[in-house]
Amino acid sequence: MYKLLLSWRYLRTRFIALASIVSVTLGVATLIVVNSVMAGFVDQMKSRLHGILSDVEIAAPLLGEINYPEKHLEIVREVIGDDLENLTCVVRNPALLSFDFRGRQCTQQVMLLGIDDETFGKVTDFEPYLTSAIKKERFSFKLENEGHEAMFDEGGWDYRRRMIDNRERIRKWEEEQQNLYDVTAAGYFETVQEESEAKEEGFHLAPLPTQAPDLNTVHPADPPPNNSTSPESLTQHVPGSGHGGPKVYRMSPFDPGAEHRPPIDPETLFDPMKDQYTGIILGIAISQRKSQTPDGELRDVYMVRPGDDVQVMFPTVGMNARPVSENCTVVDFYSSNMHEYDASFAFMPLSELQQIRGMMDPLTNEGTISTIQIKLKPDADLNEVRDKLIAQFPPEHFTYDIRTWQDTQRPLLSAVSMELTILNILLFLIIAVAGFGILATFYMIVVEKTKDIGILKALGAPSRGVMSIFLSYGVSLGSVGTGAGILLGLLFVRYINQIADFVGMITGQEIFDPTIYYFSEIPTIISPFMIVWVGLGAILIAVLASVLPALRAARLHPVEALRYE
Amino acid sequence: MSDVARKRTIKFDQSRKQKSGRGPNLKIAGQTAMTVKDLYKSYYKGKHEVPVLKGVSLSVQSGDFTAIVGQSGSGKSTLLHLLGTLDAPDSGEIHFEGSRIDSMSARQKERLRNREFGMIFQFYHLLPELTTIENVLVPKMVQDGFFKYLANKRKYKKRATELLEMVGLSHRLKHKPNQLSGGEMQRTAIARSLVSDPKILLADEPTGNLDSQNGREVMDTLDALRKHENLTVVMVTHDDRLAEKADRVIRLENGKVA
Ligand SMILES: Nc1ncnc2c1ncn2[C@@H]1O[C@H](COP(=O)(O)OP(=O)(O)OP(=O)(O)O)[C@@H](O)[C@H]1O
Ligand SMILES: [Mg+2]
Repeated sequence: MYKLLLSWRYLRTRFIALASIVSVTLGVATLIVVNSVMAGFVDQMKSRLHGILSDVEIAAPLLGEINYPEKHLEIVREVIGDDLENLTCVVRNPALLSFDFRGRQCTQQVMLLGIDDETFGKVTDFEPYLTSAIKKERFSFKLENEGHEAMFDEGGWDYRRRMIDNRERIRKWEEEQQNLYDVTAAGYFETVQEESEAKEEGFHLAPLPTQAPDLNTVHPADPPPNNSTSPESLTQHVPGSGHGGPKVYRMSPFDPGAEHRPPIDPETLFDPMKDQYTGIILGIAISQRKSQTPDGELRDVYMVRPGDDVQVMFPTVGMNARPVSENCTVVDFYSSNMHEYDASFAFMPLSELQQIRGMMDPLTNEGTISTIQIKLKPDADLNEVRDKLIAQFPPEHFTYDIRTWQDTQRPLLSAVSMELTILNILLFLIIAVAGFGILATFYMIVVEKTKDIGILKALGAPSRGVMSIFLSYGVSLGSVGTGAGILLGLLFVRYINQIADFVGMITGQEIFDPTIYYFSEIPTIISPFMIVWVGLGAILIAVLASVLPALRAARLHPVEALRYE
Repeated sequence: MSDVARKRTIKFDQSRKQKSGRGPNLKIAGQTAMTVKDLYKSYYKGKHEVPVLKGVSLSVQSGDFTAIVGQSGSGKSTLLHLLGTLDAPDSGEIHFEGSRIDSMSARQKERLRNREFGMIFQFYHLLPELTTIENVLVPKMVQDGFFKYLANKRKYKKRATELLEMVGLSHRLKHKPNQLSGGEMQRTAIARSLVSDPKILLADEPTGNLDSQNGREVMDTLDALRKHENLTVVMVTHDDRLAEKADRVIRLENGKVA
């Protein structure tokens, strides 16, 4: 009884001891805040990382192929069994993407993924990260006119037509300007020509072929001589046109058989006003440039919009790989907020990509692929499935790389977890420092209370009892400090965004910039396990710090203690 | 001591007789309460040995008021601490009510100090964080566990209040020691020494730190208690006038009983 009474009275009359545990409070609060915020960040990051990566994938080496994909899928289904939720085939290869921005050619390296629009979204989080509201609902590689409003002030068919129209008008204007120049130039050439004609005898225009050439050979195999050096071949005089002056045509293609070909149905001709090329979806960061306005605000500039055409260049498969180039129409953007993905991914329809890259097996007419992506049931053990697949496709016989999404992101994940561990150790060191503060304070209190300890012993209190006075003193101080710290930490975490705003308002510097971190607010996750762990750790440190003083109190000789002044 | 306090003492005495058969008042005078045989005790200052007690033998009769006198530094306090088991002798024996106490286990000694001995010191030795009544109750708190104490709290409080009334401090129950005079503090210490009904009272110069007025009051209180409860008292004192009142005087000289 006296133990409780006395430790309570000591607590009440010695507020200085409370000061020594403020550091415990702060340490605990910091630990909780840091752990919660880090957990929040890691969780967000993991779900983003996991977003585009399937649970498990079987990948052929870069630019390699998996032949007979149907057979592979069959085996994979069999091996995984009940744990399988879905799988999809993907062709993946590096590519160069180039587009025209304000008359300038911009080229970027991308990772081109040929995806199956039916199954790909069922294996990874793909559709939620698309920027178009319509594509989020129902995915396809068709250009829509609507749905881009959230991100772009314009985009889609109307934008495409307007841009083509613009370009056409610019082209026409340029042509007119060129004509004006050419007419002047032509006058100059004529005089020069007359002189040279006088000198060079036997010069003649290449005669038009009188017979229609074989339509199978598209271009004449034998171009007329000198036609590239003679100015005559660049310009063609058409007599009798409205102006009296000579009408000049620019570099018209030499198409000798035009009048013999059947007329082309304009309906089947590619008309960019009505038609799109193969649809492509680009990572948003490929198009996006962040620029700072004079008043310091960040503004997004988009170099490509839905409806623009881009060129993609990539190698074909096989031993004699050669680059092929393909026109594509951007139909949407992919924005996972993971810069790594957003800056490098481009998606195309699987079958198109297979065709262009020459991945079709001429016998079976089945396209080869480069990865099989697998989604498992939520409670399946990823590593176990991976090991089963590795056993099925042993590295001795196959070149496949079989890995879980965590294996793929291992460097990042382990860096983050190491960071968290080091932070925890550092912060616990802070609490340990606080523990030494408690030790010193308690030691002083025991010295100050030496006489009281002597009195208690003279009145028959056992050493153990005297010791427990100071131990319970330490425990209660530690608990108070820890409790206050937990409370403070939780409050801080709860209102962390408001606090960040407030601090930002006072200092005039934004603490948490959503455009940098891609989170609208600071993500936090409070783990009860972590709080219990931190709390117990802090109390333990406080108790350990009070053990030494308490032992000293217990060892005091009653007579010596009574004599103490 | 005031008349009121004296009356209270008598009243209290009667109530105790009715309550229990145990108590110092039932002890027959003339029996030996404490015997000391050939006690040696030295202190060490580094390697230097300072012999303080060099073969002290004495006996204390039940119900007697025994005074220990001697020059300053003659080892009176040392002897009293040995009697109260606060310290252990180098050699020799101390017997209390027939059993040897200097060789007892720490637990037994604690029990002895808590229940059988009452101790009073020159510098009062009250706990500064506790009120008067709490200070008086400390031996009871030490004696009982948490729940037993709570169960008996009422009884103990009544007893403590009675004792404080007896020593004339009924109006100072909630005061802290630093709000009391020296005499009041010493009377509180007396009340504390009596709260667990000890068989023997060991007092080390209880009036040594008080002026003559306060000292007399404290002595009167002790005297009254001693007589009415038939307490065995061993008191160390400088004061020859106090020693004269004693039934027996033991004089320490050169570490021996003279
Ligand atoms: N812890 C100690 N270490 C060394 N010497 C001590 C110690 N305690 C007491 N002494 C010595 O023992 C001797 C006896 O001390 P003690 O306190 O018993 O004397 P006393 O008779 O009570 O004196 P006083 O009348 O002044 O109180 C003294 O000479 C003192 O110096
Ligand atoms: Mg003394």
